[in-house]
Amino acid sequence: MRGRRVLGLLGAGLVAGWLVVAGVSPSLVPYSPRQVDVMARLKPPSAGHVFGTDALGRDVFSRVLVGSRVSLPSGFTVVLVAAVVGTLYGGCAAYGSARVEEGLMRVTDLFLSFPPLVLAMAIAAALGVGVRNTVLAMFVVWWPKYARLARGLVLGQRSLDYVEAARGLGLGGARTLLRHIVPNTVGPIVVLLALDVGNAMITFAGLSFLGLGVVPPTPEWGAMVSDGQALIDQWWVSTFPGLAIFSVVVGFNFMGDSLRDWLDPRRER
Amino acid sequence: MALRYVLKRVVACVLMALAATLVVFLVAHTVPADPVLAQLGDKASANPETVARFRTRWGLDRPLWQQYAIFLAGLARGDLGESIASRRPVMDDVRQYAPATIELSTLAAFLTALVGVPLGVLAAVRRDRLADHLVRLLCLFGVSAPTFWLAFLALALFYGGLEIAPSPGRLDAGAVPPPHVTGLFLADSLLARNWATFRAALAHMILPAVVLAASTVGLVTRTTRASLLETLGQDYVRTARAKGVAEALVVRRHALRNALLPVVTLGGLAYAELLAGTVLTETIFSWPGLGRYTYQSAVALDFPAILGMTFLVAAVYLVMSLIVDLSYVVLDPRVVRR
Amino acid sequence: MPTARPIPSSTRPTRFGTLLLVLLAALAGARPSPVTAAGKTTLVLGIDISDSRTFDPARQFEYSPPTTMRAAYETLVTMTPGDYVHVKPLLAKSWKLVDGGKAWQFQLREGVKFASGNPLTAEDVKFSFERLINVKDQPAEIAENIASVEVVDPLTVKLVMADKSQPLLNILSSVTFAVYDSKTVKAQGGTSGKDAEKADKATAWLDQHSAGTGPYVLTSWVRNSELVLERNKGYWRAPAAFERVVIRHSSDSAAQLLALRRGDLDAAFNLTPDQLNGLGRDASLRIVSTTSLDFLYMTVTSGAELNKALGTRAARQALAHAIDYDGIIKGLMAGQATRPATFIPVGLDGSTEALTKEIGYREDLPLAKKLLTEAGLAGGFSFKLTYAKAAIAGTSYDVVAQKIQSDLARVGITAELDPMDQTTLRTQYKEGKSQSVLTFWNPDAPEPYLWAAASIQRVAKRVRWTVPKELTDLVTRAGGEPDPAKQAGYYREYQKALVDQANYIMLVQPVFRVATSRTVSGFDLTAAGWVVDLYDVKPAE
Repeated sequence: MRGRRVLGLLGAGLVAGWLVVAGVSPSLVPYSPRQVDVMARLKPPSAGHVFGTDALGRDVFSRVLVGSRVSLPSGFTVVLVAAVVGTLYGGCAAYGSARVEEGLMRVTDLFLSFPPLVLAMAIAAALGVGVRNTVLAMFVVWWPKYARLARGLVLGQRSLDYVEAARGLGLGGARTLLRHIVPNTVGPIVVLLALDVGNAMITFAGLSFLGLGVVPPTPEWGAMVSDGQALIDQWWVSTFPGLAIFSVVVGFNFMGDSLRDWLDPRRER
Repeated sequence: MALRYVLKRVVACVLMALAATLVVFLVAHTVPADPVLAQLGDKASANPETVARFRTRWGLDRPLWQQYAIFLAGLARGDLGESIASRRPVMDDVRQYAPATIELSTLAAFLTALVGVPLGVLAAVRRDRLADHLVRLLCLFGVSAPTFWLAFLALALFYGGLEIAPSPGRLDAGAVPPPHVTGLFLADSLLARNWATFRAALAHMILPAVVLAASTVGLVTRTTRASLLETLGQDYVRTARAKGVAEALVVRRHALRNALLPVVTLGGLAYAELLAGTVLTETIFSWPGLGRYTYQSAVALDFPAILGMTFLVAAVYLVMSLIVDLSYVVLDPRVVRR
Repeated sequence: MPTARPIPSSTRPTRFGTLLLVLLAALAGARPSPVTAAGKTTLVLGIDISDSRTFDPARQFEYSPPTTMRAAYETLVTMTPGDYVHVKPLLAKSWKLVDGGKAWQFQLREGVKFASGNPLTAEDVKFSFERLINVKDQPAEIAENIASVEVVDPLTVKLVMADKSQPLLNILSSVTFAVYDSKTVKAQGGTSGKDAEKADKATAWLDQHSAGTGPYVLTSWVRNSELVLERNKGYWRAPAAFERVVIRHSSDSAAQLLALRRGDLDAAFNLTPDQLNGLGRDASLRIVSTTSLDFLYMTVTSGAELNKALGTRAARQALAHAIDYDGIIKGLMAGQATRPATFIPVGLDGSTEALTKEIGYREDLPLAKKLLTEAGLAGGFSFKLTYAKAAIAGTSYDVVAQKIQSDLARVGITAELDPMDQTTLRTQYKEGKSQSVLTFWNPDAPEPYLWAAASIQRVAKRVRWTVPKELTDLVTRAGGEPDPAKQAGYYREYQKALVDQANYIMLVQPVFRVATSRTVSGFDLTAAGWVVDLYDVKPAE
């Protein structure tokens, strides 16, 4: 238990640290992330360039720091919006008749079986490359899992004895909802959310890796890993941005893991 | 009655796969790009007559609903259409690239199970002790690392730095592939009794398979652990313990088999996802599989290929989830059938 | 799986250990010691042939197949490496203008036989060319100046031009004009009649076999895997040096390099500049190179509706003078490139490096600023630079675009980068809706008229440039001019006009490099389209 709490705090610390960096990095960085110097390209890490330089001679360290301003919010936004929309959708489905619920859930299944890559590429082709459009594409395939979870949770709650009892006593549906169902549903959803942010960040980075996501020269971690993908000997170009993604996601996962254990009613105290 | 249920599910699967293709079809056609202009050479595409001619030749001058209907009709015959980029049936493209992905994902799934299940058992049995914590940490790390980053690191370290891994690709650039029987290099080289090629193909497969497995191991381990813990708390297990049966035997004989059910579920779905081909890993390891093919088709707006792959991927995923659901129904008598 | 005995906990770690050992053992077996090539009867090349869709000369239009086609088929005339001005005899031993300059008459070489044993006659030339024209697939476009093909006698063929003021000779050196065995191809369902578009069925066969006169014969092609050519025993010159040529597909440059080092490949065609530069230390390898006729360039629209600033010529010229061309070539291309003055690559008649120095764009920031002020844009302006996810000689467009963006910022010009997928970009660009595009041009055939005509016709439409009549006339005159020196003069005037107009900014004309083993020689690269004439490649002495 103590171990888990330590991990959770560690995770929170990592995330908080990156949030701070995201906030102040433009004033922290030693070089402008856009400063091109072709004759200094692909230099290994040194005192002058802690993480080395990339194919255009730009300082990788500065770009990693400033990259947090895009990479962090994008994943988080997707998950937050998907969670809200998905939960509402799933919750409503749980309240509908069996037919309605079945139909609504089939729709979520459809979205779940969708290849997100194709959708993201199509949206990019139609609306253009960019953070906003990639987030949109991700959202479309992200909300179903929250819908599923919410529906399952609400259904579970609704059939619980005390809820039945409350309704039998004539207590209003809305009150039941707010007083009993919501508090018990929020927990697992928040846990999923915390654990999911990491996933979303990785997916966004992956889409950036494939050429969607940001417009150059805006630094973004996934795009930076992609830039160095063929440069096996100049390993620093891809390694450090990937390390940044890794550290943030580890932070979120530690946090989510601890949260899950804390909220688990079956755990041994 | 069970048969009716299966039939109902199968039909639902097919319908949903089709629905997925319809959505992709519509989205892909709302895009302002014109595949004819993109595919034709510079001079040819400047000549409106030539453009019109090729548009007809590729069936792109027909109204949308007709194009989709043609696709559906072809689907019924097992024909996924003709790829604009490769000028041959999509089925041929799939037949060429599928074995690479199947081999890789099967090895990855095998590795995942080989490592994930024992680790999960270890963590459950040694619950809350050091081993459990270490396993948990390992899982969290595995899940947190982006696959494309791990792939790059693996390649840079083992191939570039230490030089113990072979070059990217299914075989070396100068090597002769085994005579084609299935397209699976491991199987084909065994059939041809060519041990050198077998070893080479396996060696080339290990790094990408390990990278792929690394991302799914965490999930399998955790599910195994959780499931085993739950099973171990069951009455019949307690009974066995009370009877004096050795702990290890309790775990293996009684608990594990039941605990593995949810793991199988997860495994099935994960395998389906792997089969869809991971674009990122295939790109970094120059693996000529379905993931890379899907990506290239998406970029080139190769409609027939996109539609074909969407249908295939959706179908595989849905079939896998159907099989898993059915196996649940069959294996676990407690599951309620509606 | 379950055993009678419970597994003691101490064996569990051993299972992992075993797994690790198995993995390491397999890995260890993957890197055998270097192999030296001996008893050279087979030439093995490592090329990315993923773009190959067909080997039918009447349909083939991609980048990598011409190397194979040139080994299996021959054309009437050809070009030797480095000389893209004068054609040399190949299947035709002489030629002259007849019918008042309206037709070219070719005298075919005697005693030439196809790989099938059938003799080469004028009928075969007629069949091959008419099939190319009537099948109406993509390559047919470059035959548009052939109005008809007439057989004068079994060894004489006449090509009547559609427009005698347009060139034809140089274009005939392209592998698209391969001459193949009409009897064999007809037997496989090939036809050259007016209905060939629908009626011709020979392509499937031609994808797996060849029916040419060349030193090698195509015997098999497994898509994205490998291609095999075998020696043509009846070749009309001395037999080829190798019994077999195998082209192994590899899309990974690192894999090609490794295989080359180990002797599994005799040549690697797709190495990156950094890899090539690192080869200097390896004594068993050498690099052969030639300046290609491809170039990477930037279009800039004249359409004020698209971008008000770019509609002004001075603004476009300012843009052209703000780019660090040397930085791009020295820094990003490792010095392995040159740059033409404008739309005709260096090496063709009328375009030389000296001319580029004389009239081409140069980085000149004060001049750029002055031009901007003249245009009333002293504060700079912004525009959209579109490009696709592609690379030139190993350097991605992305990197070049970002360099340009950074260069232009120095004079206040903001380039908004607009990366796009290839398909949408081509659509938008070909419809004339792009402000500025970073793109690539590679030759159909080494004939300067093809570039010049394109630049004032279809490409001009795309950049919304209304070309003045004098320029159109000048290009026509140049195209019809038989004397290379006079032609060079016309093209010089044409290039001056284009530089002044500033719709096209040439950035890089790469040097094409191939890494080969020292066990083979004769790898003379050519920019004429087929990269290397495999007949010249021999085992090293």
